[in-house]
Amino acid sequence: MNRTALPCAMAAILALASGVRGEITIEDLVRDPEVGSDWLNYHGGYSGHRHSLLDEVTASNVGGLRMEWVFQERIAEKFEVTPLVHDGIMYISVPPGDVYALDAETGARLWRYSRQLPPKLIACCGLVNRGLAVLGDRLFMATLDAYAIALDRKTGRLLWESKMIDYRLGYSGTLAPLVANDLVMVGTAGGEYGIRGFIDAFDVATGERRWRFYTVPGPGEFGHDTWAGDSWKSGGASIWLTPSYDPDLNLVYWGVGNPGPDWNGDVRLGDNLFSDSVVALDADTGKRKWHFQFTPHDVHDWDATQVMVLLDREYRGRMRRLLVTANRNGFIYMLDRVTGEFLRATQFVKQTWAVGISEEGRPIRRPGMEPSAEGIEVFPAVAGGTNWMSPAYNPDTGLLYISCREGSSLYFKGETEYRPGTRYWGSMFVNETTMHNWYGAVRAFHPVTAELVWEHKLFQPAWAGLLSTAGGVLFAGTSDGFFKALDVRTGDELWHVSLGARIQASPMTYEAGGRQLVAVASGGALFTFALPRSEPRQR
Amino acid sequence: MRYLLLPALLLAAPAFLPAARSHDSNPMGGAGDFEEGRRLYRIHCGVCHGMEGKTGRGARLARRTYRHGNSDAELFDLIEAGIPGSDMPGLWLEEDDIWRILLFVRTFAEQAGEACEDGAGDAASGELVFNSQGGCLACHTVGSEGGRLGPDMSFAGESFTGEELREALLEPASQVARLYRAVRLVTKDGERVEGAWKNENLYRIYLMDRSENLRSFRKADLESLEFPSQSLMPAYGGVLDEAALNDLVAYLCTLRGGREEDAQ
Repeated sequence: MNRTALPCAMAAILALASGVRGEITIEDLVRDPEVGSDWLNYHGGYSGHRHSLLDEVTASNVGGLRMEWVFQERIAEKFEVTPLVHDGIMYISVPPGDVYALDAETGARLWRYSRQLPPKLIACCGLVNRGLAVLGDRLFMATLDAYAIALDRKTGRLLWESKMIDYRLGYSGTLAPLVANDLVMVGTAGGEYGIRGFIDAFDVATGERRWRFYTVPGPGEFGHDTWAGDSWKSGGASIWLTPSYDPDLNLVYWGVGNPGPDWNGDVRLGDNLFSDSVVALDADTGKRKWHFQFTPHDVHDWDATQVMVLLDREYRGRMRRLLVTANRNGFIYMLDRVTGEFLRATQFVKQTWAVGISEEGRPIRRPGMEPSAEGIEVFPAVAGGTNWMSPAYNPDTGLLYISCREGSSLYFKGETEYRPGTRYWGSMFVNETTMHNWYGAVRAFHPVTAELVWEHKLFQPAWAGLLSTAGGVLFAGTSDGFFKALDVRTGDELWHVSLGARIQASPMTYEAGGRQLVAVASGGALFTFALPRSEPRQR
Repeated sequence: MRYLLLPALLLAAPAFLPAARSHDSNPMGGAGDFEEGRRLYRIHCGVCHGMEGKTGRGARLARRTYRHGNSDAELFDLIEAGIPGSDMPGLWLEEDDIWRILLFVRTFAEQAGEACEDGAGDAASGELVFNSQGGCLACHTVGSEGGRLGPDMSFAGESFTGEELREALLEPASQVARLYRAVRLVTKDGERVEGAWKNENLYRIYLMDRSENLRSFRKADLESLEFPSQSLMPAYGGVLDEAALNDLVAYLCTLRGGREEDAQ
């Protein structure tokens, strides 16, 4: 850790305690799911609903949306960020290691922080960053060189930086951190490089590391015996998406990535905990309360890094605290989030690898669906039935919306050998992109029964997340660059615009200048939309 | 892993300049190096370039010359640093391993060249067939001449083997590039249009018609939309005799671009 600004640490603590006007308190973050004019967490609120109470834009008037402003950078990398907004200021991370504060009403730049990164970074899927976390007077970011850092929210000045681990071994930080209580939590990406995944929690004020949880258990730890031999040392199980959090239970729900090597499991016989699992950790101590593994001994690269949606709904006659998540392996799961008890799993896209899910929640595999030297076609494709793009939950309709990916891959298996900092895949895949089986869809499900209520087909499988609003509008994006508005009740399309590049981020909405704006990243730019003002205006 | 596509590098970032090489030409050459190069290629390169360097979303490697450099040193730097602004990433590997990959990749070019020179025809006669009797020039560009409905043939001798060219002439539907797929549609006004697919989304389809017009149609305005399994290119088996086909393949094998601007 580099304590560059200890005086600021004290100021932050004071701000947390007193709720200084304009500052962001834990109470602001906990005020969830009532996400209104501000957007203070990657998911909007802690529960992973990506739903906003703003209702100026409605199903009736959304057809009048116009572009308000656009932010562009001179880079070839794609934006995957969900912006944060507080008090009319927007904060975004920009590849590979920049942070901007923008006027949320006009897009004007207020400050920029630019991280000096080493010459060679190791990232499987682009030099991306998905966003920031905020508390008090500071912003937090995970960096591609595997640090957690804190910035002054007013100036962009670096306050502290804490090294997670040596990035040259294949580790990186790409997720938007989570702030809970007085800790900022990050995890490490690098599941394709033979890392040993972990989650770190740092003191928001000082950057001191308070705890670490290894997603691949070491000797003597629970789950270590699910890894053959020394395979745990390079078992992957990366962390690259912001978890959901239940402040009442003080549990953080982390979706964990694939085991390594991806497509050849021979060297890692066993279930390979906690790869492809959700682990519920005590926010203060990092102790595991429970875990549930969706895909034991995965050989298809089906990370469980999808959003964990926290709902309180009636199930079998009584109210339950639920965790619902659509997994990359093609099933929607419902768990009791207090205990981790498996309640139900339902197929939501075409899949050919499992006969079903047992009463204990374990997949019943169809024989012969493992990768082979000749290649085997399996549904879903390597990117899964859905992926890290956000689902949305609308409390008015009671529906859960998921961006679904239909299609298959040819999965190959080959030999691979661990070498620090290099790809550790165990061969490869080829997507079967024939027209008949390769498409996307936004689908609305009843979250408890997993009953399909409506479907809006997309031309291609999407990488864009969804945003639900109290105005009755569901925003969605497509891989051919369309940003569109759907009716939350029917899925009917209400509006669309072409942004000119694949949308590989999840949209959000906020209020600035007295109006509701909707923001989404596309390509290397961030676009915002609003209804035209009724009266002439000056800027 | 989130997905394997689109690893990209920053444009104009000095941080991504290649690290120093200790050799200008490939110091590797042993059988063990070759096998290791093949293994590393399969892990790091095959997903995009294909296991034989012929297929995939990456550039075809089974050719004699490359657009971004041909010397050992240039190719080393490409593998090591990637190509800024493209989807080609750099590889974080030891210097020796990059040389081993290059040792293996070089064999693609040898195979490509040998195969395409192996025809029995006469290239000069083949050029006449291409330009007149076969009517190929109406749809294919060579250098600065020709039509644009079909793929540019300026690099045919680098890009394909003689066998592949022959198959394309006899069974053109067997391997149609995505951007040249046939589209046949009828508008609600009764207009019938046939052409080469250029782009498509939920709302519209875009094509080049037989007169080389780039056209856009709203799907809602169409009576019918088909993707015929036949290629827009006729099968030449019944059109040209065996000798003419041999001549044509021989001519195509001589097409290896030339000037830099042609390559673009």
